[in-house]
Amino acid sequence: MDASLLMIQPSAPEPIYRQILEQLRRLIAAGQLAEGERLPSVREVAVAHAVNPMTVSRAYGLAEAEGLLERLRGKGMVVAAQSARARSQAERLALLEPPLQALTRQVKELELPAELVLRRLGKLLGE
Amino acid sequence: MAESSAAYPPIMVRGLRHSYEAHPALRGVDLQVRQGTVLGLIGRNGAGKSTLIRALLGLLMPEAGSAWVLGEPALQLTDRVKERLAYVPQQPEAFPWLTAEQMLRFVGQFFPRWDASFAKDTLSRWSIPSTRPLVKLSPGERQRVELIRALASRPEVLVLDEPAAALDPVARRDLLREVALRAGEDGCTVIFSSHIVSDLERVASQVALMHEGQLRLHCELDAAKERYARLWLPAQFTAVAPAAALSRRAQADGSLTLVVERDAGGRWPEVVQMAGARLDALGLEDLFVEIAA
Repeated sequence: MDASLLMIQPSAPEPIYRQILEQLRRLIAAGQLAEGERLPSVREVAVAHAVNPMTVSRAYGLAEAEGLLERLRGKGMVVAAQSARARSQAERLALLEPPLQALTRQVKELELPAELVLRRLGKLLGE
Repeated sequence: MAESSAAYPPIMVRGLRHSYEAHPALRGVDLQVRQGTVLGLIGRNGAGKSTLIRALLGLLMPEAGSAWVLGEPALQLTDRVKERLAYVPQQPEAFPWLTAEQMLRFVGQFFPRWDASFAKDTLSRWSIPSTRPLVKLSPGERQRVELIRALASRPEVLVLDEPAAALDPVARRDLLREVALRAGEDGCTVIFSSHIVSDLERVASQVALMHEGQLRLHCELDAAKERYARLWLPAQFTAVAPAAALSRRAQADGSLTLVVERDAGGRWPEVVQMAGARLDALGLEDLFVEIAA
């Protein structure tokens, strides 16, 4: 994986370490990062995005603690074996919780009926 | 104090007070910066950022309080500490008659860890005219030369006062990358003041917000984003607004905007649960505006 594939938005309310962690969770859950695939080093990510290496380390450390990544001697961080197994549907759905909550709030602010929004969403999902 | 390499914090400030012609610029500032920290110092014009920087480097004698740099009193720094320290002011003025290359060659002699190849490469990367004396350069070019001088000396403490204004986006990214790597890999301690909050958000590990001569907030940058949020309460709820809030603004329609904080258990104040209350996560710039507006 190339460091430039990570999306980092410094001005977002979400801290940078959390943005990196969330992306790793999604990419790994979806199988876009396969078991054993090497991650860019902390330095490569820091250089590519001009961010503090300690921030990248923190994200990698948390991903390691979650079992998403493992540290291989001489190879750096790779996608951990068990996390590459397809995640259950419930686990993948859980990753969508924050955007769904944000959407729900906006729907309420706009005072839109739920069925209208659901119909539109169904269309986007190609049903 | 457990680390043997740093028995003292590289920067320490106690009870600093200063004023200009009865106008208070610093109203009691305490600050400690650990080794390897990148401290982003934000605040409005006139908030006291530059005065704090000058006082903590010993360039200004404060009316009260004291500062230490790398274990020495700021007002009596020895050469041993000065060669490990680099400061880039907003308007550099040294050596106007030399060209950038001559100046860097000259000052390089005084720094034991001078990185001549970094200086040479960055001069051309940042398009500094090589034949004109410094006095004939634009203020932006002049400040870029000073940034190169500061970085090439491989300092242990690096203090930059509003450095980003002089740089185009490419050079700015270069500078941020250098600052991030120097701090994260070499343990350089950096203080970086800026209005451009998104620059700080890339590299800062901590943020300090100055307002009217005081530090209103000093914490880890990530914590600032996770711990604080903006709460909007409609007029009928303002009586139950939490008493402790970092800022509080009454709106024209009688509603109230507050910056609230999570408690030790990570919970928001109870009032955020009330129907009609609205809680928004804040980026650093919004937090800055809420507190300093």
